[in-house]
Amino acid sequence: MSRVLVVDDEQHIAEGVRFNLQADGHDVVVAETGEQALDLLLRDRSPFDVVVLDVMLPGKDGFAVASELRTAGQYVPILMLTARGRPEDVLRGFESGADDYLPKPFELGILLARVGGLLRRRRWNEQDASTAADTNDTYTFAGRTLDFSAMEIRARGQAHRLTQMECELLRYLVSRPGQAISRRTLLEEVWGLHESTDTRAIDNFVVRLRKYLEDRPASPQYLLTIRGVGYKFQPESEKPS
Amino acid sequence: MTGRQKAIGFFITLCVLLVGAAILGWIYWIVITEKLTIVQLVVGILLFALIIAGLIVYTVFLVVEIKRNEEHDTFINSVTHELKTPLASIRLYLDTLKTRPVGDAQRQEFYDVMLADVERLRHTVDQVLKAGVAREKRRPVFRTPLEMGELARECVDLAVMRHHLQPGAIALEAHDGASLTVSGDAEELRTVITNLLDNAVKYSGSDVRVTVSLAAPSPDTIWVRVQDRGVGIPRKQLKRIFKRFYRVQARGIRQVKGTGLGLYIVRTIARAHGGRVFAQSEGEGRGATFTVELPRATS
Repeated sequence: MSRVLVVDDEQHIAEGVRFNLQADGHDVVVAETGEQALDLLLRDRSPFDVVVLDVMLPGKDGFAVASELRTAGQYVPILMLTARGRPEDVLRGFESGADDYLPKPFELGILLARVGGLLRRRRWNEQDASTAADTNDTYTFAGRTLDFSAMEIRARGQAHRLTQMECELLRYLVSRPGQAISRRTLLEEVWGLHESTDTRAIDNFVVRLRKYLEDRPASPQYLLTIRGVGYKFQPESEKPS
Repeated sequence: MTGRQKAIGFFITLCVLLVGAAILGWIYWIVITEKLTIVQLVVGILLFALIIAGLIVYTVFLVVEIKRNEEHDTFINSVTHELKTPLASIRLYLDTLKTRPVGDAQRQEFYDVMLADVERLRHTVDQVLKAGVAREKRRPVFRTPLEMGELARECVDLAVMRHHLQPGAIALEAHDGASLTVSGDAEELRTVITNLLDNAVKYSGSDVRVTVSLAAPSPDTIWVRVQDRGVGIPRKQLKRIFKRFYRVQARGIRQVKGTGLGLYIVRTIARAHGGRVFAQSEGEGRGATFTVELPRATS
């Protein structure tokens, strides 16, 4: 059984989502405001496996809640719901730390599948972590260690915690070294988004990953931009040394 | 700073620079021309004044247009939200009923939820349409004699029911004197009172204490006042709130949902009836009073 936190001030939607998640055997808590959600997650340290977060909330909005959680080191997977489906909004959602995104009105089946997906990934990661003793899921290059089971990057003497989707994106790129991969492919394969989401949403993730990995994030050596296509992971520095 | 604010700043700066350049050019022309007749001087001044006036008018129009665009964007945003949220809810409940076994009591509850959402959708569509009609100039008002006390009572009862309030949450203070009659369109005046009541409830949060009162400040005018003890309105915005698409902006005020059309509709209807509407507030957190002034019908 998983614990899900639903944050939505629209009672009808919150109750409808609660009913369905409970019918699927999840334990559901509803918070009506962003402040309430932050209290539950940060102050009370209530353990949740996934958060369904509406953007348009009274007081602190969903964007603010997501980024506050991430800044405070709370990496629970977040599925963002919003009535505003413009590319800028999707972009801002990912930028503020959401892992997945769904525009309203949504199909019930899709919502449940997305929540299920986030829960499944989280379980895999936990299993990985518990059996990680000998089958360590790590990747090392140029003095940097990517620890996928602990969801962190150790580089230049520092460890950085990754969110679920940062971790997934990095894993996808690293497992295909030297291959140029389009933004659309990344959105489809890593996020499972098939709608006409703005593909620039990826860029924010890459910017963050570069901050952890690169010596000079402005002129990257490992996570390269392929103009007009997307991104490429290059384990060996291409620049002549 | 948004892109629009930057654009406004850019055009105003450009205007100031061009005006400055025009004045400098004019002074330079006076200096280099040795023998300037009075006629030349006057014609020159007029010409330059014309150029400068043109620049300023052009900039003002540009800035107004940019601001109007911005208001329009907020309107689209809030209407999108007001349309999509109930739609999302209806879809969610229909999907649920279709895919899951739902008990009888629960099923009835779901139907009620969906009906409430349909009502919310209807209300939004209504407001948008009414605002459209209200904009038409020289629109005929179908006048009949109306007793405002009765009309207010109807609206209060309806609001209490629609917002699921305690019976005493909206108090109607009776007027002692003679009956207060207005010659007007019943449907439209009902919209006026209902919109004011909806706002009063909406901006009161969980503690709804609203008073509706009627008065005759002079023999030929009547007042309908709606007073709440809610979030209040910053002094500077008391006039602007009646503009189309305008929403109160203040740090203390939480994002309250709506289209930004309610008060605009109130003002247009009041004006079409030969009256006016104004707002008073002691400031943020101290409630607001809306007064509709209408001409009293002579009987």
